[in-house]
Amino acid sequence: MTQQIIIPEPDPIPLPAPYWLLKFLLVLTFILHIIAMNFALGGGIITGITDLIGRKKNSQFHLNLARSFSKMLPIATAFTITLGVAPLLFIQVLYGQYFYTASIILAWPWLSVILLLLIGYYGYYIYQFNFEKLQGVRAWIVLGSAVLFALIGLIYTNTLVLMLTPEKWAQKYFANPHGTNFNFDDPTVIPRYLHFLVASVSVAGLLVLIYGLVKLKSDESFGRWAVRYGGLWFVIGTVVQYATGIWFLLALKKDLMMIFMGGNGVATAVFGISVLLSLVSLILILLSFNAQNPRPLSIFGIVLLFLTIVGMAVMRDILRDAYLSDYFKPEQFEVQPQISVLIVFGIVFIAGLITVGYMLNKVIKAKPVTT
Amino acid sequence: MNYPFWDVPLIGGGILIGIVAILHVFVAHFAIGGGLYLALTERKAIKENDQKLINYLKKHSKFFLLVTVVFGALSGVGIWFTIGLVHPSATSTLIHSFVFGWAIEWVFFIVEISAILIYYATWDKLDPKTHNTIGWIYFAGAYLSLVIINGILSFMLTSGKWVDIPFTEPSKKFWVGFFNPSYFPSLFIRTGVALALAGLYSLITATRVEDEELRTKLVQYSGKWLVPAFILIPVAGIWYISIIPPLAREISMGGAPAVTVFAVLSIVFSLIIALFAWLGPIKTPKQTSFAFALGLLVIGFMVTAVTEWVREAVRKPYIIYNYMYSNAILKTQGDKINEIGALNFAKWVSVKEINEENVLKAGEEIFRVQCQSCHTIDGYNGIKKLISGWSENYIDFQLQHLDMLKGFMPPFYGTEQERKALAKWLYSLNEEKTK
Ligand code: HEM
Repeated sequence: MTQQIIIPEPDPIPLPAPYWLLKFLLVLTFILHIIAMNFALGGGIITGITDLIGRKKNSQFHLNLARSFSKMLPIATAFTITLGVAPLLFIQVLYGQYFYTASIILAWPWLSVILLLLIGYYGYYIYQFNFEKLQGVRAWIVLGSAVLFALIGLIYTNTLVLMLTPEKWAQKYFANPHGTNFNFDDPTVIPRYLHFLVASVSVAGLLVLIYGLVKLKSDESFGRWAVRYGGLWFVIGTVVQYATGIWFLLALKKDLMMIFMGGNGVATAVFGISVLLSLVSLILILLSFNAQNPRPLSIFGIVLLFLTIVGMAVMRDILRDAYLSDYFKPEQFEVQPQISVLIVFGIVFIAGLITVGYMLNKVIKAKPVTT
Repeated sequence: MNYPFWDVPLIGGGILIGIVAILHVFVAHFAIGGGLYLALTERKAIKENDQKLINYLKKHSKFFLLVTVVFGALSGVGIWFTIGLVHPSATSTLIHSFVFGWAIEWVFFIVEISAILIYYATWDKLDPKTHNTIGWIYFAGAYLSLVIINGILSFMLTSGKWVDIPFTEPSKKFWVGFFNPSYFPSLFIRTGVALALAGLYSLITATRVEDEELRTKLVQYSGKWLVPAFILIPVAGIWYISIIPPLAREISMGGAPAVTVFAVLSIVFSLIIALFAWLGPIKTPKQTSFAFALGLLVIGFMVTAVTEWVREAVRKPYIIYNYMYSNAILKTQGDKINEIGALNFAKWVSVKEINEENVLKAGEEIFRVQCQSCHTIDGYNGIKKLISGWSENYIDFQLQHLDMLKGFMPPFYGTEQERKALAKWLYSLNEEKTK
């Protein structure tokens, strides 16, 4: 059977802003979304396991950390969702015809994201509000929520990879138009997903480390412990991350893999620099464990890791366009800038930042140090 | 026709959207009105130095957080997911026409979410005045998000002059679509709904307050939050009805019996709420129980459900008025489809040329791309029931006048051969039944 390739026409309405601006906003807001997601998902995993260890060993440090993080989890979830809305907007603006089609083919799994999120989110609140009351079961509730969130990530990867392979759409759709498909036949889905899952644990480990840095002032020994404990999660996660990353790279089709290995100068450079930054970050965090003052080393490490995330997000975007290079031609977009709307957006955006800044300032002033 | 059609068994995609949308509307308007309730009531408590009232608000704000931040926000994303799956072309139109409208809305979401999380967490940490300011910021963010989304939603029914403005005048096109003819009446109605829901939901927490004196006071106070709605909604409602397209008015006032029944129900349920809110919380607050409050809330939910349903129904035959039909065909594409054929025009069909063997299959595919966005086969608005007893010729005759058969259907687009194939397939459903 010959492969039938059907790709919907792009929306006839022109872009209201230059392509590069929309692309920039897509990648920027995706980075913010994924960091919040790392805190919500990886944070849930670490909190649950820490809680279990704490109860088993009767360790106050572990239990204190779990208690503090129980308050962080719903907040991280709220921001995962809100910060996810923005890339969801821009991806539909730029890649609508790919995005809608892939999600329709996986409609039920895709829609189930909402239900999974709802249950997991309430699970986090149950954990927070009944922390003292629940005792034994509570760790399983938070881990259960984290598992649901992990499933959501898996569904995302299924859909977003299918979006990049139009060759497979018609065959999948005509075989099953009811939206109960998956995309596990694609060899990149599992390694790509694991690359996100493991990253979320590493990055959440850094959040524990940051929490430790904040605590150093009020409770030196607890702070020290949290710095090391979080740092360890980060270090182990990152080492595993090298393995999943290599697996992902090797699972890509040869021509796609090659763009990161000399085929495309920018992609190769971003790849090389990102890996290097993560290595340096790893070393800095390790060094901070026994440093007199862990602060400068670890903060530097965190900044480098943030840059790694930025690099990885840029690579992911280059990869997307490489996948779609036969079909997706940015120069074909018609652009009709809505200048006045852009100005209103700019003003509202700045006013919004100021407002949030004002509120945070009030919070910090009201209660210094602790969270 | 541009996107694959997602076949949702029995209920069809429309009902699926309805379920998610009704739940969301019912919570989202509370998220707005309830914000004002928190901010104003806190101000009152500070002024009267009423610590008991503050304690009530603390509890109420937890309820508010769990309902609006979790369910409200997620069901909102849920609508977006659902419409993208069921009506990708229309979703794409709304996204592309209002990209930075959505982006502005998003900024308000961020402010709103940050504010309510801080508000809830800082009752004992911030001085009362600052805390109250955070409440006001929350309400401002929430209301402004309504100010934005209302422009995009009302646009779908009253696209106004937007259709005629060329894309080469992009800014003008945006604002004309945004401040469309039903923008303001719509905004006033929604504001009324938000205030009423603030009252209805707070009765749920107020009727459970232990202290009798506080409970009586709070129940009456919350009941009064319904009063503005009963002035605002009828006035803005009449304005709204006077401004919507004539066909939409006709559908809701007799043209389509089911829609008319629902429209009447919406009014009747609202009057019931008004009456019982008056007799209960406002006149006899002491006797008003939690069950009574719950009953009012349930009726409030029914009002939301029937009203949303009517709002969706009156937009037919369009999904975006005068621009895109409910089946995602653009009004301007009709001639082209008649010329080259629907199967040729459609992307996600497996039959392109009709011949002796595939004629039934062709008919079925045409049904899928042109009719199934509103009709299922055996389920909701099922076509089998609707054409039961019709002859093939009669079906074909009706297909030629679909837009007149029922004012709220789009015309059939395609070649004569395709129409005949569709008629044949539809007729085969009849035969199946009699067998
Ligand atoms: C706990 C909940 C969530 C998790 C664990 C999660 C996880 C992920 C992951 C792993 C990816 C990358 C997938 C890949 O590239 O293979 C992703 C991308 C994305 N997520 Fe989320 N997500 C969550 C919730 C949401 C929500 C609620 C939204 C929207 C409101 C959202 C919007 C997006 C978008 C638009 C992208 C793609 C961005 C792009 O391709 O540039 N996510 N998410």
